[in-house]
Amino acid sequence: MLKLGINRMVEEHDNAQHVAEHGVADSDFIMHHLLQQPVIKLPTVFGIDLTITNHVVMMWVACALLILAFAVTFRTNTIVPTGFANLLEAFVEYLRNDIILPNLGENGKQYAPYLLNAFFFILLCNLLGLVPFGSTATGNISVTAGLALLTLMVGQYAGIRTHGCLGYLKTFIPPGTPFFVQIILVPVEILGLLTKHFALAIRLFANMMAGHITILALMMIIFIFKNWLASVFPLFIMIFSALLEILISFIQAYVFTILSAIFIGRAISEEH
Amino acid sequence: MELLTPSGGTIFWTIVTFSGLLFILYKIGWRPLLQMLTEREKKIRDSLEQAEKAQSEAEKMIQQQQMLIQEAKQEAQAIIAAGKKSAEKAKEEITQMARQEADQMIEKANVEIEKSRNKAVDEIRNIVVELSLSATAKIIESSLSKKEHQKLVRESINDLGKLI
Repeated sequence: MLKLGINRMVEEHDNAQHVAEHGVADSDFIMHHLLQQPVIKLPTVFGIDLTITNHVVMMWVACALLILAFAVTFRTNTIVPTGFANLLEAFVEYLRNDIILPNLGENGKQYAPYLLNAFFFILLCNLLGLVPFGSTATGNISVTAGLALLTLMVGQYAGIRTHGCLGYLKTFIPPGTPFFVQIILVPVEILGLLTKHFALAIRLFANMMAGHITILALMMIIFIFKNWLASVFPLFIMIFSALLEILISFIQAYVFTILSAIFIGRAISEEH
Repeated sequence: MELLTPSGGTIFWTIVTFSGLLFILYKIGWRPLLQMLTEREKKIRDSLEQAEKAQSEAEKMIQQQQMLIQEAKQEAQAIIAAGKKSAEKAKEEITQMARQEADQMIEKANVEIEKSRNKAVDEIRNIVVELSLSATAKIIESSLSKKEHQKLVRESINDLGKLI
């Protein structure tokens, strides 16, 4: 018995040495899963590499599913919803009443489709990352940067539309401050605006990526130890992490939407 | 690090994909859905308002009805009171009349009695006169002694007693 235990300890020690030697290769495996892979090579136009990556494909899958869901659900325009339409409507109603209207007010109703679209698109991208053979498009900094850029653009458009071009620029000047303070504060305000949207991109990206790194790292434990006993514990934590990921998928979609709503709402509000 | 380096192509595709999705879903999803929500909200609000109105109307009606019932009750009470009053009056009148009539009758009876008594007394007087006349005649017929005279008078008195 004792001998067996010692043998196992020696074995594990060997394994640990193996990890130390091949650790780089294993972390590469994780990176391989997180980074986007080209699917269809396309030429570079105006310095933009138009190659279709697996993350772009996942976005398209999400789009297809969303369009399919809405097309099938709202084929008939009835005032009393049933089944799946109820579920979608519950989401939409919640977003409309608790996020969009409080932050944007009656004037901002026209930006509701953008925010609803953002929520559902991000949610589906997040969830598709948990599906086998799927990859998380929102775990890609480029995707989240694109989304944050869109929010930034919508916010600026909304601000200019509400206040006029000059009026919107004036909202960057804090009222009631002397001129020399304004010289400092205006760049700070502009920088703050950009930072908020930068954080928006980083927040979504980091949250979605972190969950996947956790799951992949736990999975790696099994491959590193090559021992079925070592698979039991990580397996449970992996299931737990995956469930947590589902929760985070919803939370992050919600957070992105509510922050976008707040930013747009701030752009269209009277006082900055 | 490649992980943190945004690639222009993916940003471009993200924006294009998102915009396309927004366009399509705006047509098939968001616009009809938001419209429907607004419509439904309006409908529910309208229905609630209508229900409230109906309720207030019903309450008003109930109040009116209660007022009517109250009025009817009061009226009924007034009628009953008036009836009682008039009945009392009638009773008093009838009693009064009956008493008057009785008094009248009693008076009449008294008068009648008086009359008959007078009549009777007169008759007695006549009889007495007659008797005394006949007695006198008898006395005159047979010259009377003192004793006989007394006897006769006693007889006549006795007769008188019988007559009365």
